[in-house]
Amino acid sequence: MSEMNEELREKAPVAETAVEEALTAEMERQKKARRRKLAGFAVRAACFSILTVLLLIYATYVFTPKHDYGICSMVTYYNQEPDTIDVLTIGTSLAYAGINTNVLWEEYGISAYNLCSAEQPFWVSYYTLKEALKTQHPKVILLDAKPSIYTRDYSKRGRTILSTYGIRGIENRIGATLACVEKPADAVSYLLGLPEVHNNYKKLKWSDFAFPPDNGGRGSTWKGYIESDVIERHEKPSVVWNSTKRNMNPREEEYARKIFALAQEKGIPIVLIGLPNPDYANDHMYYNALWTIAAEYGIDGVNYNDPNIRFGLRYSTDFADWQHLNVKGSVTFSRKLGKDLREWFGVPDRRGDPRYASWDECAKTWYDKYPEFESSAWEKNPLDWFPEEKLPPEGVLPLDNVSAPEAEGEKI
Amino acid sequence: MSILSIEFLLLAAGTLIVYYLLPLKIRWIALLAGSVAFVCFSGWQSIAHLSAAALVMWTGGILLDRHKSRVLLAGLLVLDLGAMAFLKYYPSLSGAELILPVGLSYFTFQSAGYLIDVYRGKAEAQKNPLKAWLFIGYFPQLAQGPISTWKELGGLLMTGHRLEPENIVSGFQLMLWGMFKKMVIADRLAATTTALLQESETPLPGWFIAGGVILYAIRLYLDFSGGMDVIRGISRMAGIELPENFRRPFFSQSVGEYWRRWHITLGAWFRSYLLYPLTTSRAAIGLGKAASGVFGKKTGRTVPTALATLLVFLLIGIWHTANWNAVIFGAYFGIVMAASTLMEQVWKTMRTTLNLPKKGWMSPFRLVRTLLLVLLAQYFAFTPDPATGFSLLGGTFRNWNFTEFATLTTGVMEAREWIIAGAACLIVLVIDILCEKKKDVCGALARTHFWYRWPILILLILAIVTFGVYGAGFDGAAFLYTQF
Repeated sequence: MSEMNEELREKAPVAETAVEEALTAEMERQKKARRRKLAGFAVRAACFSILTVLLLIYATYVFTPKHDYGICSMVTYYNQEPDTIDVLTIGTSLAYAGINTNVLWEEYGISAYNLCSAEQPFWVSYYTLKEALKTQHPKVILLDAKPSIYTRDYSKRGRTILSTYGIRGIENRIGATLACVEKPADAVSYLLGLPEVHNNYKKLKWSDFAFPPDNGGRGSTWKGYIESDVIERHEKPSVVWNSTKRNMNPREEEYARKIFALAQEKGIPIVLIGLPNPDYANDHMYYNALWTIAAEYGIDGVNYNDPNIRFGLRYSTDFADWQHLNVKGSVTFSRKLGKDLREWFGVPDRRGDPRYASWDECAKTWYDKYPEFESSAWEKNPLDWFPEEKLPPEGVLPLDNVSAPEAEGEKI
Repeated sequence: MSILSIEFLLLAAGTLIVYYLLPLKIRWIALLAGSVAFVCFSGWQSIAHLSAAALVMWTGGILLDRHKSRVLLAGLLVLDLGAMAFLKYYPSLSGAELILPVGLSYFTFQSAGYLIDVYRGKAEAQKNPLKAWLFIGYFPQLAQGPISTWKELGGLLMTGHRLEPENIVSGFQLMLWGMFKKMVIADRLAATTTALLQESETPLPGWFIAGGVILYAIRLYLDFSGGMDVIRGISRMAGIELPENFRRPFFSQSVGEYWRRWHITLGAWFRSYLLYPLTTSRAAIGLGKAASGVFGKKTGRTVPTALATLLVFLLIGIWHTANWNAVIFGAYFGIVMAASTLMEQVWKTMRTTLNLPKKGWMSPFRLVRTLLLVLLAQYFAFTPDPATGFSLLGGTFRNWNFTEFATLTTGVMEAREWIIAGAACLIVLVIDILCEKKKDVCGALARTHFWYRWPILILLILAIVTFGVYGAGFDGAAFLYTQF
């Protein structure tokens, strides 16, 4: 008995060590298994999050309106071959409805692109331009002068902010959104996108799912021109032409200055452009102020509301509403603009260059829809577009007896 | 801060990350920090009030642990509940404007329950004031409950939990489900309640009022239970399983059962801290004996319970808000419950005499009867005053003419919105039926291979972000129960 006890006593430490070792091994095994389990979970969670975020980004794209709010022109802009755009227009609906990129291409071989959106304030223009100049180095930038008349400090209307949804550069997207909202906290839902656009599920069309967007049926080679195919007669346009100035909204002025500085920093000529507008009486005072500010930077502009610039525009037939040019007006105006761009900036003729095939395709699509505006047809019978109407002998109506209503803003 | 706001979700996510990064023993500090941040968003008044309540609870707990004094307990409860009563009812009675601290009722009930439990020896007094603060200020539940006891929640909060993928998955699912109920259905149905309360030249048809009241009841259920699912889901992700507050109340077979399934923790609080002490008091026993002499032994014994039930429901009604509708609401349920207690013997005799089955066709009968009894109370839940409530109630029984069906319904919401609400309700109904049949839908989904689970979750997310009522043009409908 005592021998057995002694034997057990000798074996006990060995057994204890074995148990300890087994326990340690088991614990180690459990630790490893847990680590593997957590690592697997982390990978799956990351994959799920990425997939969900991508789907949410796509959902935001689907729900975002794809018409004149501007998302299309920005989204499609990224499809342009780098350094192919010679004339880049930044601005409002006046610019995208007035500057017919198809006419500029077809008749002058100018590769132009309208990066515009409805009621685009200068603060959106600034960030849009910053983003645009990442890939393009145009021969000239045309800056629509219209935002100089805007009196709002912030973009109260969601659609103005929605135009920034096409910007891919996160710094410019955030910059534009923050510039649009009064309180930074308000920017969150615009930056996320969905809180602002998800209700559009009610208006969803199959074409909204397509990427890149079909640009309202204009095709993927579209260059930002949006036609207004209606006529609104203007017997007596409200146009005033004098040197009176009114202070621009300080924020619009601040961002106009930023745009000028940006263009100069990049070494790209920038020109102010005043689009023809039958309701110009108020605007001219702000335009004058903007021209004065631009002059500080040695920047000039051309205002096509100047009654001395005559190029056959008819107020009775060439406008779609109280401020936008219609299709015919855009053709007439763009013919003049193309001539001026060639003359002043020596913008080259790119026709025949394979890098510019998309402009060819875009113009072809458009002229197929509007064959009556082909240059050969135009030359044959310039006054026969609307034969049922009796057009005045001169293109521009006389400006006498037109008075300017009182505008907001301090006179300077 | 709404529990569906981006700020709240970011706060919850941040708290969870910090929670799991900290060592196990001090993980509760992450919850405390998150809760302080949440209360800070609601203003300094909330922080001050909550801290004062925590201080009373903490010192009171320590004192009660040493001296089991009924007077001390009564004093502490007067201080605790008195502050709530003052803040809730003084503005209504005097017209004065006071800023209500976030989660007032919930943290008051929770701290009062804790004090009673310490007095009863059911809970140990918490020595750490910060832990006491966390117990009543735990941020996911501060907005709308549930009301937990120290035994249920204290240990869970203060003990660190290991990161378990199952908890994260299942909690995330529950949170999404809650969002779906609240954002896709409840907020969409808000328009139906507004339509009932709008002034109209011609009286509304009876079917329209009845439909509106039914939809209000559905909306209230989905709003409240949706919020609870979000809260419980977030907590579950931290390994904290909060008590269930709703268990498909519309499947109840009696009003009593309904109240055991609706706002369960509030009912449990009142049962535990008011009803039982009342019914087991000497006065109640004396009253029972006296009543036995008048109504007979069996019925007489139920008189104290019936009276206590009436009182409890009156208090529940008044707790909701200080107006006559709340009194009617509480009194109505109190009377129904008291009557059912007093008449228990009569029903039993009737069942035996008529040989009525316990199940079978009696189940749907009881279900419909209970629903009707519950719906009757809803006329006073959403109306501003008794006159409007009674007027709508009277209107329900008049003019069941469906000629204007299309005009009236599309006037409330577009047909498309009705379809979305209807389809979403159907999904909730199916899930609720499965849960009622003891099927653990959430657990089953969490256990499914991710290959099958992901599409379902992604569809749910897309449904919420697409059809949810939020963002532009949405006036930020708060959770209905946050106001209490």
